[in-house]
Amino acid sequence: MKIGIKVLEDGGILFEGIDALLFKMLIQIRTSAELDDPRVEARFYQVPSHDPEADTLREDWKAFVQPDLHSEFAASRETVDADLRRSQDDNTGLRSLLIPRRHIDHWLSALNQARLALAELHGFSEAEMGRQINDLDDPREYALLQVNIYGLMQEWLVSLLD
Amino acid sequence: MPALDTPEIETKDKADLDSVWNVVVHNDPVNLMSYVAMVFRRVFGFPREKAERHMMEVHKSGRSIVWSGCREEAELYVQQLHSHLLLATLEKAPNP
Repeated sequence: MKIGIKVLEDGGILFEGIDALLFKMLIQIRTSAELDDPRVEARFYQVPSHDPEADTLREDWKAFVQPDLHSEFAASRETVDADLRRSQDDNTGLRSLLIPRRHIDHWLSALNQARLALAELHGFSEAEMGRQINDLDDPREYALLQVNIYGLMQEWLVSLLD
Repeated sequence: MPALDTPEIETKDKADLDSVWNVVVHNDPVNLMSYVAMVFRRVFGFPREKAERHMMEVHKSGRSIVWSGCREEAELYVQQLHSHLLLATLEKAPNP
């Protein structure tokens, strides 16, 4: 698989030659990030402080900050989903995807959400992250590939913003 | 003429105002090192070298105090770090 990446004059990024497996994984960013699991919930919506003096802060955080974070995370997932729905098939089974410059932060967020959610769900350790993937029919192995592919994409987007 | 509502006034004693709070970032196995450094630069305006130093401290020591100061500002920083999904907490600094 060879993917062409072009940085456009307006700062947008065009990916060309995305094959079916990679496109399926990109489509799964949203569903992966929306995993309904208490461990994922706890990772996304953290306690701001364990200090005994911060009881009120913890309550306020739950009431005011977490709903804002919830909306922010959802907006990023929706933006990514909309970009993917606009992607085009070039009639050879490969697709192209345009990420507008103003959507890059949403992509970074959604990719991060998906990686964190999958890692929580499958309990991936730091050492496991870089290991070889053996059987894509195994859901845990497939999830590890997702985490690594999303990480590569995230790394690339960060380097572009630098 | 209707009477004005009495505003609620929250009082803080001097010790509370003098307290220093630390913003602490904790290590996690998933967030990319480059991403963490980028977030530090964005949220705190750190130069690249300082952002990378704190990122390495998080990675090697498990945590790094990235900012210290008044509680309200520290809360805002923790909120921003949470919005980037970094593991971050607010801790009261020990009295000098």
